[in-house]
Amino acid sequence: MEKQERILYFMLSAVLVVSAAAAVLYQGASSAVQGFLLIQQHPARLINDYVQVGGGGGALLNAVSVAAISLALIWFVDVKLSGPTIAAFFTIMGFGLFGKTPLNILPIIIGVYIASKIAGKTFSEYILIALFGTALGPLATYIVVEFASVNSLLPSLILGTAGGIAAGIVLPAAAISMLHLHQGYNLYNMGFTCGFVGLFAAGLLEASGGNVAVQVVWFSGSDALMYWITPVLSGFLIIFGILLEKLWRTGNGRKRHVWKDLLLIQKRSGRLPDDFMDNVSNGGGLLNTGILGFLSWFYVIAVGGDFNGPVLGGILTIIGFGVFGKHIRNCIPVVAGVVVSCLIFGFSLSAPGPILAALFGTTLAPLAGEFGAHVGVAAGFIHLFMVVRTAAWHGGIDLYNNGFSGGLTAAMMFAVIEWYRSTRPDDFPRRRPEDVSEGG
Amino acid sequence: MKRKEFLLQLIGELSNYLLEGMPRRVVLSVHQEADGIHISAMDDTPHSDQEVEVITHALQGEKRPELSGYYGHMIGHDLFSPARLELLGLQVKHGEVNRSENGIRIDILLGGEQFDSSNFELP
Repeated sequence: MEKQERILYFMLSAVLVVSAAAAVLYQGASSAVQGFLLIQQHPARLINDYVQVGGGGGALLNAVSVAAISLALIWFVDVKLSGPTIAAFFTIMGFGLFGKTPLNILPIIIGVYIASKIAGKTFSEYILIALFGTALGPLATYIVVEFASVNSLLPSLILGTAGGIAAGIVLPAAAISMLHLHQGYNLYNMGFTCGFVGLFAAGLLEASGGNVAVQVVWFSGSDALMYWITPVLSGFLIIFGILLEKLWRTGNGRKRHVWKDLLLIQKRSGRLPDDFMDNVSNGGGLLNTGILGFLSWFYVIAVGGDFNGPVLGGILTIIGFGVFGKHIRNCIPVVAGVVVSCLIFGFSLSAPGPILAALFGTTLAPLAGEFGAHVGVAAGFIHLFMVVRTAAWHGGIDLYNNGFSGGLTAAMMFAVIEWYRSTRPDDFPRRRPEDVSEGG
Repeated sequence: MKRKEFLLQLIGELSNYLLEGMPRRVVLSVHQEADGIHISAMDDTPHSDQEVEVITHALQGEKRPELSGYYGHMIGHDLFSPARLELLGLQVKHGEVNRSENGIRIDILLGGEQFDSSNFELP
């Protein structure tokens, strides 16, 4: 393991320790733990804001616990701590504020592990599918918690775990197929995949007598802890990114200028798999994450949005993908598209759906990065009116509903772009007569 | 079948890259052994030093199983977009690029964990 990677482990561990300490100090140890325990028994489908359920401290403790599991898994599987794994870490932490719990993510991870054995692969090859696949965690919770009212707990517990494992087993096959539909233009490919698998799961649950209607538990207002985490974390990431290249540069590495690297990142498309830390530099990548964090925070303040679990979850996901596909240049057009769509269709920019669409809709950033801002704006515009529909299709079982909607949007846009490219008159140069006579 | 499909995807991405330069001639050679595969491709298009450096970086990147086992499956599927040699680099054991008389020659070696590419004889 390289020196900088060890330092990155230290950095993420520090984020976890400080967050846990902040949760306890903010809410009091006893109340935060009680909130944490309450969250474990609460439904996890979209949208269940854990700040409303267990308080800011309880929600943050839950987020820290799921993020710690993901970091430990990355360590044990021995894959590089870099763009995709850091993106997974922050995404899982973010969704620990509204849907993921230690108990509901484990069956999915076990299922993906079994799939890797079936396919004769190492688990390290499927680790990203396992980490991001925890978006289907609410499936296990639904069976255990919401079915428990009609069945006894033990059978529900067994059935919920089995359901989570079964879903995990099919995820790799589905994930790879979904990737081909949009060719890497939807950053949350596992959201697209889990939404697809979630359609079948919701159908089965409804046929079995379950109620999978989407419910919204949303903390209105601004929880102080949720409000201040973003600027503190973003500032920390920016300072750490600068220090990483100045003080802790890898011995044989070239001297990096983080601000120049930040500009280099802005020139990239962000299309999967674009690891900014590997392709540019660790410091430049961290700088990008911090700036995106601040911009997201300012956006929520500007539209008068609530600072709660889902909103902070969206910001943390943007921060995470700041080293794996998202940057200022490719995100802004998509957000602009969502805003235009809201204004045209009369949605409030601060309502739950639109604010989450603006934050998570940046899953489509590679479209702007590859084809230009106008395509990004179009993608954001389409994304808004799609995402408000899609959660109902899978009953909120797929936590990355924006990834599901984004996948549909990206697949449609990619299909049109590919059709346009393939049907345009061929630009193949006609051979000159002298070429033919040369026999070339 | 699995090997054949995988090879086709690799060849597709590699050919996609070389054909982007509108060469007059592309020569592709595939040499299969029990423990490894060698793909060699040559074109007759001039390439800048910077381009050769980019190809080398893409083909000789760090091994990333978490990327190759998942995103690596996109290789050779999108032939309308610019070629993505970094996807190729994720899948190969070893890759290198050298200048030929008029263009470049890209050599790609594939094999299992036991396969030592340094012992593999290039034709």
